[in-house]
Amino acid sequence: MDKRVASSIARAWIVAAVTIAVMLIGVYLSLTSGMFDISVLDVFRTLFNPGQVHEHDMVVFRFRLPRIVLAVLVGAALGIAGVVIQGVTRNGLADPGILGINAGAGMSVVLFMLLVQGSIKLTGWAGVMLRPMFGLIGGLLATILIYLFARERGKLDPQRLILVGIAIASGFGSITLYLSLKMNPNDFEMATVWLAGSIYSANWKFVVAMLPWLIMIPPILWLKARSLDVLQLGEEMAGGVGVATEREKKILLACTIGLVSASVAVSGSVGFVGLIAPHMARRLVGHSHRYILPISGLIGAAMVVLADYIGKTIFAPAELAVGVVISIIGVPYFVYLLLRAKR
Amino acid sequence: MLRSAEKKRKTLKIRRVIMRFQRTVPAVILWVAPIAAVLTVLLSVSIGAKSIPAGTVWEAVFSFNPENVDHQIIVASRLPRAVGALLIGAFLAVSGALMQGMTRNYLASPSIMGVSDGSVFLVTMFMVFAPSNGSISLIAVSMIGSALGAGLVFGLASLIPNGLSPVRLAILGTIIGTFLSGVSAAVSSYFQISQGLAFWYNARLHTINPELIKLSIPFAVVGLALAIILSKSITVLSLGDEVSAGLGAKTGLVKALAILAVVILTGVSVALAGKIAFIGLIIPHIARFLSGVDYRWSIPVSGALGALFLALCDILSRFLNYPFETPIGVVTALFGVPFFLYLIKKKGGGKHG
Repeated sequence: MDKRVASSIARAWIVAAVTIAVMLIGVYLSLTSGMFDISVLDVFRTLFNPGQVHEHDMVVFRFRLPRIVLAVLVGAALGIAGVVIQGVTRNGLADPGILGINAGAGMSVVLFMLLVQGSIKLTGWAGVMLRPMFGLIGGLLATILIYLFARERGKLDPQRLILVGIAIASGFGSITLYLSLKMNPNDFEMATVWLAGSIYSANWKFVVAMLPWLIMIPPILWLKARSLDVLQLGEEMAGGVGVATEREKKILLACTIGLVSASVAVSGSVGFVGLIAPHMARRLVGHSHRYILPISGLIGAAMVVLADYIGKTIFAPAELAVGVVISIIGVPYFVYLLLRAKR
Repeated sequence: MLRSAEKKRKTLKIRRVIMRFQRTVPAVILWVAPIAAVLTVLLSVSIGAKSIPAGTVWEAVFSFNPENVDHQIIVASRLPRAVGALLIGAFLAVSGALMQGMTRNYLASPSIMGVSDGSVFLVTMFMVFAPSNGSISLIAVSMIGSALGAGLVFGLASLIPNGLSPVRLAILGTIIGTFLSGVSAAVSSYFQISQGLAFWYNARLHTINPELIKLSIPFAVVGLALAIILSKSITVLSLGDEVSAGLGAKTGLVKALAILAVVILTGVSVALAGKIAFIGLIIPHIARFLSGVDYRWSIPVSGALGALFLALCDILSRFLNYPFETPIGVVTALFGVPFFLYLIKKKGGGKHG
């Protein structure tokens, strides 16, 4: 027994190391290439000893680094959120995007932009920091609606869950469209770019807005990993083992909505990360959520970093939103999952 | 005991009333529909950013005067818009009715099943690689595109175990739709026609092209005629594959023709006005509620109701954010999303409906 535990820990470490290596390759590519090529040596020189060459400083610190850091944070948040949502609903096809949580958060952020338009500068500190809070309201609203409609005799029906999600996502989507048309043209432009799931307007403010959520929530979830494991056994079993299922589920979902809202608030709706990363993680490290959670976070981060690199280079100088890149890669994988699923 | 017998008699009575209601209502709807359509067109033409009295509308149609600005507005913009809304509403609702009957899936509809996304996708490709071709080829491309979308979704669905159940099909449709629109977005941003594409994606009844309407009429006649001819066989199909084979229906042929009709009707509507969601989903349900499960009645009733519904939504879209136009998709979603949720709540996800 001990041997098996030891070997699965070792396996998790190896997987983590490989994922981080892949992510670092993405970071390296993103840092060095772009409109303005900088050699590796120069990048390192700028990172560790800034202030030498003004252009290098500006490119690395003002444009490339915040974007990469943001990609890592958003990817990690979505990867972790996906694990929890799939775990709580016991449905391998669940994903914050498919369930409409992204759309809900997006709607309330657009509402926020519309309401404060003119009174606060949207790109200023207050504007950026308040966004995730508003996103949270919309995300909660979406989740409550999903819960209301998808419950049948006290149980969450996994099939119905996804249908309700699709319905809610399209509802919130059209409200968002309606609201965004009421904005002034400048903000509208900003809102549409942001909604498509893009991080090319990233700056340090967004990173700071995102950071508290990512520091606070994942540790809580990690402590709850055992509950997630137990929930996989089914409601009755979980109750029998002594887990207060409903309460645990609510805490877990609330944490997830926090993560999702924060990432939607800074990067718009990036789909499929929360779907694919958990699946890969599960295949790599087995079924213990203690390992799945961090590994899925890392895989998510690597995915978004690489997708952002692909998006910014493949059609350069035109940029493709990360969300679009990931959906083009993600959909075939999703279809493959569906094809493999035997029911 | 007595009470339960009483109750039973009462439910029987109610059922008989509903039956009679379902026999007379469709005929009434079909008789009233043309009049309602004319009234809707009149209403739609006379109100808007500039109000025009009904008398002027009459004159514009029957004694057109090219010098009169009001007449020009009516003939070049308002009238095509109203007629377009009626036509597209009817096309989409009939497509939805055909799909729901054929697949016995209560969520089947052109927008959910990737049919409209396929059309938008191919139109994008067409705009990139052969931009200068005429409108008639645009309609053709749009149709091939809807065939492509439908083929992808249903092809994959039949490979997946239990793939034709409402949920799986809806998920597949949504996902394939996301994929196709993602690829279109990538291609269009590479070739820098994003704006032209955005124009396509968003339903745009207010800029509908009168020439395109004229061109689309022959296709639409073929599609609608096909739907009406097939309606009896669709009723049989909706009883299930075994039953319909037992009754001697040529299931394969009927399905192929029905898909052809769906492709024609959806392709034409996307070519005319882009993607308009929810009509094909909700109208057939309402039509079935009013006229029963006999598709000989419910297909034409769907057409009539769809036409009126979209035309009224179009009028509403001018007032939600007056004086600006609201995208018609927002208005249809306003009615469509609650209805969608209601359907899910009532019917669940696993079984065929």
